[in-house]
Amino acid sequence: MAAGWPEKSDQELLALIQGGSHPAFAELVERHTTRFYRLAYRYVQNRETAEDLVQDAFLRLWENPATWQPERNSKFTTWFYRIVVNLCLDWQKKKRPIPLDEDMPLADERESADEAMIRIQEQRILEKEIAALPERQRTALNLCFDEGLSNQEAAEAMGVNLKALQSLIMRAKTTLKERMKAYL
Amino acid sequence: MSEKQDEKLDVMLRTRRVEPANRDLAQRIILKAQSLPQNQILPFRQWLRQLFAEFHLPKPAYVVASALVLGIVVGLSTPDRSASKDDDSTSVQSFLYADEVPL
Repeated sequence: MAAGWPEKSDQELLALIQGGSHPAFAELVERHTTRFYRLAYRYVQNRETAEDLVQDAFLRLWENPATWQPERNSKFTTWFYRIVVNLCLDWQKKKRPIPLDEDMPLADERESADEAMIRIQEQRILEKEIAALPERQRTALNLCFDEGLSNQEAAEAMGVNLKALQSLIMRAKTTLKERMKAYL
Repeated sequence: MSEKQDEKLDVMLRTRRVEPANRDLAQRIILKAQSLPQNQILPFRQWLRQLFAEFHLPKPAYVVASALVLGIVVGLSTPDRSASKDDDSTSVQSFLYADEVPL
């Protein structure tokens, strides 16, 4: 990696990518792959699929760099979250949801076997209930509970105002609380 | 009770399990991009901007052009001196002959 790339902002890298710079693309991919993978994983609950979707999103950006328009899109991550979410939703419409892995690994190795079993069960039910939520409520939850994304950024990524986002989260949480009564 | 439920739900949402991605995911994407050509079709607005950029003039050219325009405007708004000379000579003659009463 050439010196100086890490100091460049996302916007600067994107301008270079529009000029065909591979090193700028490499820097952008290395900087953001993990965070977008995490988001995709929350939708598809499968590593290979989540990786494929993130790869697809980045390659689309590489092939069509002019889709990024700095005057329209305030922040790269906010804009790219929307692209990844749309790809995940498209994928879910095309494919049937993958059943959750029965052998989910323990979340915390220090837990006792009983605690771990309960926790795994809770996680499984939670994922199932989140998957059953309406699309917009699910997206609001996935964006807001993703590290480093403020409610304002999540609202921008969804193209709604802050109040609408808060309302979506509240409705999602009310539904989840109702459906997961036994585990709360 | 409800507050506790809210808290627990928040904790569960924040600690949702995510299977880590392959370590080489970023490298895979970068390598794949190297074999892909870029599609340089520009959206209309960007195309228009680039078109105007082709006709971009440096700042000194704007200064010279503005000076010329200013000169022309000032030149046109100043009264014509050759016309006023004739007016002056007529008024001097009328002054000189003003006292002469015709016989």
